[in-house]
Amino acid sequence: MTVAVVERWVETPLRHFVQDAQVTLALLLTPSGQVLGQHGFNRAMDVMAACALAAAIHASSAELGKLLEGKPFAGLHHAGATRQIFLAPAETRRGTLLCLTVFDDATSIGIVQLYFGELRDRLAAGAPSARTTPPAVLADSFEQDLNRNLTLLFRR
Amino acid sequence: MPAYSEMLDGFTRQRGVQGGLVVSERDGIVVDSQVQLGVRASVVAALAASIYRKARLSAEAAGLGGVAYVELAATEGRLCMVGRGDLVVVLITDNRSSVGLLRGALLQVAETLA
Repeated sequence: MTVAVVERWVETPLRHFVQDAQVTLALLLTPSGQVLGQHGFNRAMDVMAACALAAAIHASSAELGKLLEGKPFAGLHHAGATRQIFLAPAETRRGTLLCLTVFDDATSIGIVQLYFGELRDRLAAGAPSARTTPPAVLADSFEQDLNRNLTLLFRR
Repeated sequence: MPAYSEMLDGFTRQRGVQGGLVVSERDGIVVDSQVQLGVRASVVAALAASIYRKARLSAEAAGLGGVAYVELAATEGRLCMVGRGDLVVVLITDNRSSVGLLRGALLQVAETLA
């Protein structure tokens, strides 16, 4: 099992999650779409696309949740014919992180939700201190950071 | 789901039964439940459905046909499970329960699960 991370503190929680929940793909990212860790992807391009889409889906569903219930939805689950996705936020001292995961019949949404709860707790416990200034939603260096993170994930 | 509530009510009145759940085997989520305080129904549902599914697949792989009944014996009690289609009935019992009676009742219930 290969887990690649940009920041070391997310490695153990993500590794435990992938191992316990038996998911085929997993991504940890910021709400702006910057990747922090991944499992199961072979190409940087796929990670970049998945992060962008996950960030957009989260932003849309959070707003929809606010409209309907006055608060963002806790998570999003989409069941396909053979594969399913689960996307949910995790609060840490470093701000909100998103976890996007793809799984098949080897596991279930109940198991994924169960171990996502553990991932969320581990991330919250292991996160380093908050930055002194919160990062901008879309920083000037966004593209530079994105390329750097992808290079870190897929270095050989 | 009044039909499930009635059925679960019947089980949870039995001695030593700490809770009963109807769970989706594919999703591992609770369809209906009656559990004592302190029992984490969603956690039990996810893990029990996973165990039941793997037992069913193992039985099929071994050429034994479908699973009739699955029981997990722990030091302080048991998980008893029967299923039909996508639904699994899970009972959480302590060591005071009469497993034989529960097993018979569960097998009867399995016949009526939709």
